[in-house]
Amino acid sequence: MSNTPTVNQGFGRVLVAIYAIFAVAAVARSLIQILTRFDEAPVAYVLSAVAAVIYVVATVALARGDKTSRRVATGAIAIEMAGVVVVGIISLLIPDAFPRASVWSTFGSGYLFIPLVLPIVGLWWLRYTRPVH
Amino acid sequence: MIVVGLLIATGALVHLIINRPVGAYLRWALLAYTAMLIVFAIGGIVQMVGTDQDFARAEFVGYLLTTALFPIGAWWWSRNDSSRAGSGVVLVVALVTSVLIVRIQQVWAGV
Repeated sequence: MSNTPTVNQGFGRVLVAIYAIFAVAAVARSLIQILTRFDEAPVAYVLSAVAAVIYVVATVALARGDKTSRRVATGAIAIEMAGVVVVGIISLLIPDAFPRASVWSTFGSGYLFIPLVLPIVGLWWLRYTRPVH
Repeated sequence: MIVVGLLIATGALVHLIINRPVGAYLRWALLAYTAMLIVFAIGGIVQMVGTDQDFARAEFVGYLLTTALFPIGAWWWSRNDSSRAGSGVVLVVALVTSVLIVRIQQVWAGV
């Protein structure tokens, strides 16, 4: 008997909720940006939309928690991690690339760095709860 | 409004610490909070229509509507999750909702 929870139990449920909040917030923000002023900063706003989709995929995959979903979640969160790091670096080196802030600009500093911490926690949790073969 | 969110967060934190799922009274508080936020949203939109003030109107409405979704989501979650994690979810949502209300006030002020 193992006491290790599955990916969608215990703390995993709180993680799902946090991802769900980010998904809702990112989708809402992205819709407003694209519908009302897409021409101002198309790159940043497309990026916002991509981030929103990744958060939605990660939320659903973490909530389902079966074998395939774990893979999907790992992939989505790895992309999220890469995204926040790459966009964070670019936004510092070439500020003009993102004239309007996206959720990942400067490593998510506009959101208390939660966008940077969240994928680290997500990947750790997936690893912590991996089934033992 | 922010105080109500923080009170709910405190209640959820207590439940989390004593290892209990949230009880009926916290769920009622979440429903009441949702009702308050809906009134807040309607009031906000009415005020927005009646003013010439220059601020990000689309964001303002977006934040108002999204914020009202969060406590009702937490209510639904806590009904279906009888584990301690349900209290954790209510705690997180109540804190996020409080932050969003601050953000709504900033948008209204043109920040």
